[in-house]
Amino acid sequence: MLHFNLGAEPETYDPGLAAGQSDGRVARILFEGLTHEDARTLEPQPGQAYRWEMAPDGLTYTFHLRPGIQWTDGTPVTAGDFRWSWLRVLEPRNAARYAGLLAPIANAEAYNRGAIRDADSVGIAAPDDSTLIVRLAQPTAYFLYLAQFYTYLPVPRQAIAKHGNRWTLPGNIVSNGAFTLRTWRQNNRFEFARNPRYWDAANVKLDGVVAYTIDDLNTSANLYKAGVMDWCPSGYMPSQFVPYLREFADFRHGSYQGVYYYSMNVTRKPFNSVWVRRALNLAIDRDAIANDLLKRSREPWGNMTPTGYPGYEHPPGLRYDPEEARRCLAKAGYPGGKGFRRISILFNTSEDHRRIAEAVQAMWKRELHIDVELSNQEWGSYLQATTGLRYDVARRSWIGDYLDPNTFLACWITSDGNNRSGWSSARYDALIHAAAREVDAAKRFTTLREAEALLLDQGPTIPVYHYSTNELVKPYVHGIYQTPLDVHPLNYVWIDRDWRRHAAEPSLARGGRAGDGAPPARGAARTR
Amino acid sequence: MSIGIAPPAHIGAVAPALAGERPASLWGDAWRRLRRNRAAVTAALFLAWMSATAALAPWLPMKDPAAQDLALGATAPSSAHWFGTDELGRDAFARVIYGGRISLLVGVVGTLVSLLIGVTWGATAGYRGGRLDEAMMRFVDILYSLPYIFLVILLLVFFSRSLVMLFVALGLVQWLTMARIVRGQVLSLKQQTFVEAARALGATDASIIFRHIVPNTLGPVIVYTTLTVPAVILQEAFLSFLGLGVQPPAASWGTLVSDGARLLALFPWLVIFPGIALSLTLLSFNFLGDGLRDALDPQDRSDVA
Amino acid sequence: MATFLLRRVLLLVPTLWAIVTVAFFLVRLAPGGPFESERDIPAAAKAQLMRNYGLDLPLHVQYLRFLGSAARLDFGPSYKFPSRQVREIIAEALPVSMELGGWALLIAIVVGVPIGIFAAARQNTSADFAAMGIALAGVSIPNFVLGPVLVLGLSLTLYLLPPALWEGPQSRVLPVLTLATAYVAYVARLTRAGMLEVLRQDFIRTARAKGLAERVVVLKHALKLGILPVVSYIGPAAARILMGSIVVESIFAIPGMGRYLVNAAFNRDYTLVLGQVLFYAAFLMVLNLIVDVAYTWLDPRVELA
Repeated sequence: MLHFNLGAEPETYDPGLAAGQSDGRVARILFEGLTHEDARTLEPQPGQAYRWEMAPDGLTYTFHLRPGIQWTDGTPVTAGDFRWSWLRVLEPRNAARYAGLLAPIANAEAYNRGAIRDADSVGIAAPDDSTLIVRLAQPTAYFLYLAQFYTYLPVPRQAIAKHGNRWTLPGNIVSNGAFTLRTWRQNNRFEFARNPRYWDAANVKLDGVVAYTIDDLNTSANLYKAGVMDWCPSGYMPSQFVPYLREFADFRHGSYQGVYYYSMNVTRKPFNSVWVRRALNLAIDRDAIANDLLKRSREPWGNMTPTGYPGYEHPPGLRYDPEEARRCLAKAGYPGGKGFRRISILFNTSEDHRRIAEAVQAMWKRELHIDVELSNQEWGSYLQATTGLRYDVARRSWIGDYLDPNTFLACWITSDGNNRSGWSSARYDALIHAAAREVDAAKRFTTLREAEALLLDQGPTIPVYHYSTNELVKPYVHGIYQTPLDVHPLNYVWIDRDWRRHAAEPSLARGGRAGDGAPPARGAARTR
Repeated sequence: MSIGIAPPAHIGAVAPALAGERPASLWGDAWRRLRRNRAAVTAALFLAWMSATAALAPWLPMKDPAAQDLALGATAPSSAHWFGTDELGRDAFARVIYGGRISLLVGVVGTLVSLLIGVTWGATAGYRGGRLDEAMMRFVDILYSLPYIFLVILLLVFFSRSLVMLFVALGLVQWLTMARIVRGQVLSLKQQTFVEAARALGATDASIIFRHIVPNTLGPVIVYTTLTVPAVILQEAFLSFLGLGVQPPAASWGTLVSDGARLLALFPWLVIFPGIALSLTLLSFNFLGDGLRDALDPQDRSDVA
Repeated sequence: MATFLLRRVLLLVPTLWAIVTVAFFLVRLAPGGPFESERDIPAAAKAQLMRNYGLDLPLHVQYLRFLGSAARLDFGPSYKFPSRQVREIIAEALPVSMELGGWALLIAIVVGVPIGIFAAARQNTSADFAAMGIALAGVSIPNFVLGPVLVLGLSLTLYLLPPALWEGPQSRVLPVLTLATAYVAYVARLTRAGMLEVLRQDFIRTARAKGLAERVVVLKHALKLGILPVVSYIGPAAARILMGSIVVESIFAIPGMGRYLVNAAFNRDYTLVLGQVLFYAAFLMVLNLIVDVAYTWLDPRVELA
């Protein structure tokens, strides 16, 4: 048995409707898609499909399903199930939050919008029970990785027809992954058992998995220390513990596809001035925040796209330059901060956000003589204020959907729902649209780089740090690796009962972790 | 008949001062009794010292509570920083003293808000009686029956999260008991002769309520007020635990303690010092309140006579 | 008695109606909604969700629908956890909170009442101050400090008890202690005050004059009346304590009602929060009714009108 902390209580683990990190974790334990991720590299491995091919034009993928695969109720998993599941996500009536991830499929977006009513015109076909043919709207280099995302997992139509939106409850649920759901006690725990009908059940070593839903970071860390949990995933222990844990073999640290930033509301004065935005950016000492305050649990970061895209070269990041910041502020018409109104930093209730905001407040006061007040709002009010552009400066963050800089840059085009800053630049929009149409990978990256440089120079953002994963894994647990998307397939995890004896051999004790230098995997993930 | 909760009987038990019958002697007796209560006197002295320190904080020789030193970070108590420093390298001693300013202010102002609403509401309901009384007290019952935390979260969500609104929100959830106590007192007082006399002399209702009746409910009100202050301070601390307390970088004892408790294993000094300040203050208010209750109880002549 | 009960039960309905009405408009007017999220949801999907839950209808229509579902005690599915009915969530969480709160309440009475009696019997002596000092310390240390301190000491250093979760009898110890301490203090103080008031009444003097042992006077004659303040306090306190505590439940990862209530209010999970509010109010009123009946039994002077 593996015991770990799932963290926040999942709102739903119906794969098509799930929309949060813990939602996705449960869905991935219970269901298997066409492919499944390699635990180290996240590269697609044969799953429900045992082979697939891409047509030379890059537009058509044909997946061949493994013979004999079954749902837990004994009915066969067919290509029709996949088609039905994907169309269910796109069905406007179901209001699936992540339907957008299926957009590369031909006509999927129009069907989701309700512009097309005919499901047969969507590029998903199942000519027979074991063949799924997917037609894309345009060549999408990362489609195989995208199709590993939990929104693409198959769901059992027979169970959904019978139980409606209660089909995921224990007793009702029918799944096809390595584990089945035994019990779910809300605000307490999930218990999973090995699925004997899983095609590779012989190689699944864990008898079962217990996932607790503990959102308090201290409680989570305490339970790991007390030996109740074997794995404390990233984000579920206080960041202050990190410097004290580095010594231990349990601790794993790595880079995570996310950027923490502040956005400025350019519809308000004085943020409409590009010089003010530059001044505020240059007055932030990112090293002090990430290294001193956060004790190197995160990396200081002056770019809006994270590391880890082979071939993409970042434009120079924003620096800390108080002299230049003061000059910019003077150019904006506020020499020495004179006449600058009192501004406010909005953040949602969290100790980490508050500490950072307090540090930023002090930096702006010290370097620019600007008075800043802090506005700590609970979640609902915070979201309302950011979406409604009722703030001056707001704490935000973005986690990559897929391993491409586009996921970090596309949201800053005019009136994108995630822009939330009022910023609009015709040139920036043109660059992003040009990159989307570009087929040549190198040229596409050059265009995106130009866009990022523009965003850093003129945009409404103040990048602060690059996310990292900081997790604790007991030395006797094998098969859990640090990955850049914080995705952890549990199929082949095993527990070494004799670990103390094996610990003499260093490779086993260390669990053969993928180091920071390992080639970054390509794939897709959405997490909050 | 009331659907809700009877006011705490130990407070109602304090009989009204019998106006017109030499109240000076009553207060004098109470004062004498209070002075004999060593616990209450110690508590009062401690509170006076704590309040003076908090009030005079800006003029006392100590470090700036807002000055940060990120490179320094959290350090244990030393001769440079008596109470150590917090994660942003701020002096914890200065933070505790300034935290006291906010906690005491929240406690006192929140209580005053509740006092103002509670006394006015309770006195009006009790004096007017009849339908109005019934309706006003039913309203109190309804608010009583809403979960406290639900009410206070929504109040804080509605109003912008300023310090003033925190006072108001805490006062708004605290006045109910006060209203009930005052109403109970007024019901028995309004039958008495001096009220009849004032009415016969043509005094208006408002002047009767506030000049004749309210002063005579003072005993129980003072006792309950003394016990409300620590309750409000504790509630602010609870809100800080939920992240709904005062806006940073200002920090109350509640904020300091709830932050510190999360890092107890790493930086124990960040919870120990504000925790001691908070606990001693709450303890003192409670002892003082109990002492006042004992002292103002006119039936208790045993140790005076 | 029968007419009294009937009247009270009949009055429950309009009062509950008023409570849910106030609660409904409070949550619905709070900014934000159940389907806001950090990542943009396509406008069409959001509109669809609103339609699915009837949130696109005019507010008064929603209110009437809500009243209908409240009358049937069926609030439908939670917005945040769509696979579950509000009823199921309450049915699952309530026994946990009841068990936790029940133990805490029991401890509060079993420990608090003797402390109060002891202190009252020795009013204004060092023994009184010491006993009350210990009791009041419980209300002077916030439980979000007490909980982590107990965990650090007893679980993570001495490894005597589990640090969290609600599995097995050992896991009950720390959360129950954490929750009970504040209530011990309240009960002790109310007992002391109640006993002091009774102990100086004539019938006690008579009993003493008859030469009865002090122990008999205190425990046999005075206690029954002296405990009245505690009884009237227990009603609302029990409602609060049995309906869960956000602090204790989140520190010890206990699947009780308190976390649901707070999170539902923060997430604007309208059905879940309103279901819990209604449940809480009904629970509180029933407990108050029980308290009033208990009063007549303990104090023959009280008559039910």
